[in-house]
Amino acid sequence: MQRTIQKVLVANRGVPAVRIMHTCRDRKIPTTAVYSTPDRLAYHVFMADTAIHIGDAPPINSYLNGERIIEAALASGSNAIHPGWGFLAENADFAQQVIDAGLIWIGPRPEVIRMMGDKIQAKEIARRSNVPTIPGIENVTSAEQISDWMRDQDIAFPIMIKAASGGGGKGMVRVDAPEQIPVALAQARSEAKKSFGNDIVLAEKYIEHGRHIEVQVVADEYRHVVHLFERECTLQRRNQKIIEEAPSTLENDLRQEICVTAARLMRRIGYTSAGTVEFIFDPATQSFYFLEVNTRLQVEHGITELITGLDIVSIMLDVAEGKPLPIKQLDVVPNRCALEVRLNAEDPKTFGPSFGKITRLRTPLGPNVRVLLGAAEGEDIPPYYDSLFMLLMTSGADRADALRVMDRALTGDLRIEGIKTLAPLLLSIIRHPKFIAGDFSTKFIEQHLPELVSGFRERTSEDEMLRVAQYVAEISALGPQSWM
Amino acid sequence: METSTASPLASVQEDYIFVRPGMTAREIVQAVRNLQGVCLTSVSMRDAGQSDFKNRHRIYDLKTLAPMYNRMGLFSAECHGGARWHVGIMNRRESPFEEIQILRQLMPNVLLQTLVRETNLWGYRPYPRNVIEYAVSQVDIDVWRCFSFLNDVRNMRAVAEVVMKRGRLFEPAISFTVADWATDAYYLSVVHEIVALAGGVDEIILCIKDMAGVGNPVRIGQLVTTIKQHYPELLVHYHRHVTDGLAVPALFAAAQAGAKIVDVQEDALVRFYGHPPILGVQAYFEEGGIHVHLNRSAAEQANQQVREWIGHYEWAESPFKGYDHGVTRHRMPGGAFPSSFEQAEKGGFLHLMPAILRVMSLYNQIVRYFDVTPGSQITWVTCSGIVNRYAKEHGEAGVRRLIALLSKFVEEKGQDMAAMSEEEREELLQLFRNASGDFKNLLVGGYGKLPVGWPADWVYQSAFGDEWQAKIQGRTDLSPLDTLKDDRLDKLRQTLSEAIGRAPTEEEFVLYLMHPKDALSFIEFRERYGMAPLVLPTDVWRHGLLRSGDKVDFELDGKPYCIELVSVGAEHEGIIHVVLKVNNVTRVYPVATPRARKAEIRMARGPNEIGAPINGNVWRIGNPQRGPIHVGDVVHKGEEVANLEAMKMENAILAPFSGRIAEVCIKLNDVVKEGQLLFVLEK
Repeated sequence: MQRTIQKVLVANRGVPAVRIMHTCRDRKIPTTAVYSTPDRLAYHVFMADTAIHIGDAPPINSYLNGERIIEAALASGSNAIHPGWGFLAENADFAQQVIDAGLIWIGPRPEVIRMMGDKIQAKEIARRSNVPTIPGIENVTSAEQISDWMRDQDIAFPIMIKAASGGGGKGMVRVDAPEQIPVALAQARSEAKKSFGNDIVLAEKYIEHGRHIEVQVVADEYRHVVHLFERECTLQRRNQKIIEEAPSTLENDLRQEICVTAARLMRRIGYTSAGTVEFIFDPATQSFYFLEVNTRLQVEHGITELITGLDIVSIMLDVAEGKPLPIKQLDVVPNRCALEVRLNAEDPKTFGPSFGKITRLRTPLGPNVRVLLGAAEGEDIPPYYDSLFMLLMTSGADRADALRVMDRALTGDLRIEGIKTLAPLLLSIIRHPKFIAGDFSTKFIEQHLPELVSGFRERTSEDEMLRVAQYVAEISALGPQSWM
Repeated sequence: METSTASPLASVQEDYIFVRPGMTAREIVQAVRNLQGVCLTSVSMRDAGQSDFKNRHRIYDLKTLAPMYNRMGLFSAECHGGARWHVGIMNRRESPFEEIQILRQLMPNVLLQTLVRETNLWGYRPYPRNVIEYAVSQVDIDVWRCFSFLNDVRNMRAVAEVVMKRGRLFEPAISFTVADWATDAYYLSVVHEIVALAGGVDEIILCIKDMAGVGNPVRIGQLVTTIKQHYPELLVHYHRHVTDGLAVPALFAAAQAGAKIVDVQEDALVRFYGHPPILGVQAYFEEGGIHVHLNRSAAEQANQQVREWIGHYEWAESPFKGYDHGVTRHRMPGGAFPSSFEQAEKGGFLHLMPAILRVMSLYNQIVRYFDVTPGSQITWVTCSGIVNRYAKEHGEAGVRRLIALLSKFVEEKGQDMAAMSEEEREELLQLFRNASGDFKNLLVGGYGKLPVGWPADWVYQSAFGDEWQAKIQGRTDLSPLDTLKDDRLDKLRQTLSEAIGRAPTEEEFVLYLMHPKDALSFIEFRERYGMAPLVLPTDVWRHGLLRSGDKVDFELDGKPYCIELVSVGAEHEGIIHVVLKVNNVTRVYPVATPRARKAEIRMARGPNEIGAPINGNVWRIGNPQRGPIHVGDVVHKGEEVANLEAMKMENAILAPFSGRIAEVCIKLNDVVKEGQLLFVLEK
């Protein structure tokens, strides 16, 4: 059924809000921004055609307040809502409420969101669709059960015993040898009991040096499912991605296999709009296993756009209007390598948040650079929300090219003052020989942190000049100091 | 050496250069021996500033002399060491390593000279052998002048070994003073030890270091003659301050007797406690028939150059003006004058200075060593402490009584305790009770053996009370090189890394080894303000930009930068907004002002309260063995619970009894007043 989007309310802030508004402006679709009290001077508010205040700082009062957002859409004459990522993006109830209010939901159907949101159900569906999942055994109560399973399924150590209702690393015990199983099992069960109130545990193969590979998929309501190839999101700190690249360094046949597998799963569940299938890849056995489906636009979608030349947000708008996909699988021919780094307002050594005013902001320019800014110079980074305020993407004919451009972008034009950012760490990483060689896992940052930090000390004359100016300012204000 | 293929003009300019970096020690010694007449060491870049300007001369200004020095034909430029190192990181925020690098580039022909204090290197207490070896090997200096405030030549061994092994020139110094025991025979015995240490006279130059400026011309001529009689081939270098007013003739007398090198500084730099004027010395020597090897026109230009910037340092000059012939009695070295007066001014006891100097002249007959770092600091802290205590407890009359007591004891009774009354004996036995940890360490041999024997037993009774006999028993005659255990350099490096959050450079590590607390503050300063200490002119460094439109220009990596003041706002809620135009970009700097903080100071009163024995800076809470001390920790009687620094001296605060720390009333780096409550202890 075809329908027309007249105006989009973007139920988000910062980087995702700005990203979506860009495409809306491309398509001459008016937009409405919503904002919380501390965001009243934020960049996205002024980029939109109209804006509505929706509540106080805590997300629960503002960006998570679905009712208020729907009211805002109706009040502003918007007939569609794009949730961006984070906040309400994967909230099936909210999606349903949007539809029930007679608005267009720019995203997958609420049932699909709900189904994939249940991680156990998602894994079960994947298994039934012949998508490989991490081998495991549920409801473990004895060491024998584990040994039997390992023998029958031909599983090699290490394995992980973890709480069924787990999370946050609690109730997770790694096992490297048969004799450790009984103790580890007892420990996992006891921790599970303490942390989650029940001692139900499962055992899984533990993927060492695993790499995080995800496949971007777009689909329409006419059962067209097209994958836009994969991204490599292995580099993480505290389980949050900070550098992504597309395509991954997988061999071509594996790439085809993983992408086709993802598309098959999405077709099977009747997916629509843009979404991502995440896998963990075991380099030792060259196998990949299903992790989860992200039923939304992702932060790192931009690098897929760079290598394919497509606009994923635009495709989401098409699908939401009931149009068929504008492309067929064979039209998708990636001919670039792209890299993205996330500039979070964080201390690059401790990852502690660095809130405050961006006193100066100069973004990189030059060939093959794409910048997505969620905030403007002079703006405050408030402490209530995600610390991501800028995405920096580069592309090139091959990976080395994209890396060179990224090095230039991070060292040449980029200047951010007033807050600390991950920039020094990101630069250290992309210059690290192991990263350049493609030899890294999700543990890369923690394994190499001291080495990476020691690479921070690059000084430019501009930095030096600002330090001198800081001194001149202070002494001009305060006069000769007693320490002199 | 490289052969010169340069233009004739260049070769004329280099005529005066007879020694240069890269020559071996033996080659340098030979070149000086071959030289007609005498040659000069300029101390303008170190001791001149230290003696009259509190070591505040910035490399920004000093480096303007370098192009002239490069063609002046000096023997060397003393530009490093002494207190310049410490004051550099503390006050000027310059690293001694940067200074060497800058000077090397601007005056590649000149031998760079440092001053080290044997095991105390550039600090104030003995460092273990491995620290000495490491630090000395990291510093790119050509001439290593090394003195011992005890004339304990054994203490020079570690420095000598590394320097000589590196092929650099070792210049051992004998500390010189005038006293009944300081005879030619005594000094000759020191020279014998030095020659033995250096394995002869062909790779060293001997320095006679008259750091107070007390040797009259006849005395010096006689000493040099005696040394040259025994060691005709030994080169003698004479270093003398001008404090007593007799420096120029004394230098001349030394040269007549065979000294080959003398220390001078630009005439425009000469005040009262530094060194003789270079142009005046040359004129006087030439008139007296001694040729001075010097490119006079370059020296005159350098002198003019000094006038360009010396006005910026008026604030740093000593408030005690004029020559002081009294130095022959109190013997305060030139290098310690400004800092002592600075302390007295800050501490509000400038009016007690005459009394303190008088007490010093008596003290130095009771405990005999050479008044030069770290001895001069020990003398100063001990004597100023005693005088201040008397002034506080008994007023001016008390100070008079103290001087009368000491004069009687030392000058009338020949330090015979038995000749004093019961009451006077009691008072003398209390004299050193509150003396610093460094003084006590000196008494037990922590710095090495004293030059002419240990002080009398009563000094120990006075300093240590009931423990005096045990302290004498534990006293050692060994050199600190033999008694101090090596430090764990890897551990120290790790501690530094953790403190600054990254791996330190080798240079930062050496700074840290010398002065841990101040090195940290230096590194922190430079992280924040970068090259400001090196690129800003001295008026801007000290006062900032004063009026709207005032500008400062500088270059970094050859790129021109300009900072212009637009406005300085009024203070509002502790913030002043400063608007600058930095290379055409307007920037606003909110500057926090020090809040008018008048917190009430708690004083130690009860027996369970530990107070500060002196005014000082809390640089360590706890001790190296146990680490920091927190509330609830159990401490043992005599255990160090904190350490105060005052006048560069450490003062351990010891637990008076075993107990639990109930309250820690200070934070690290607090400045505390005498008597201020530090800890509350409970049994």
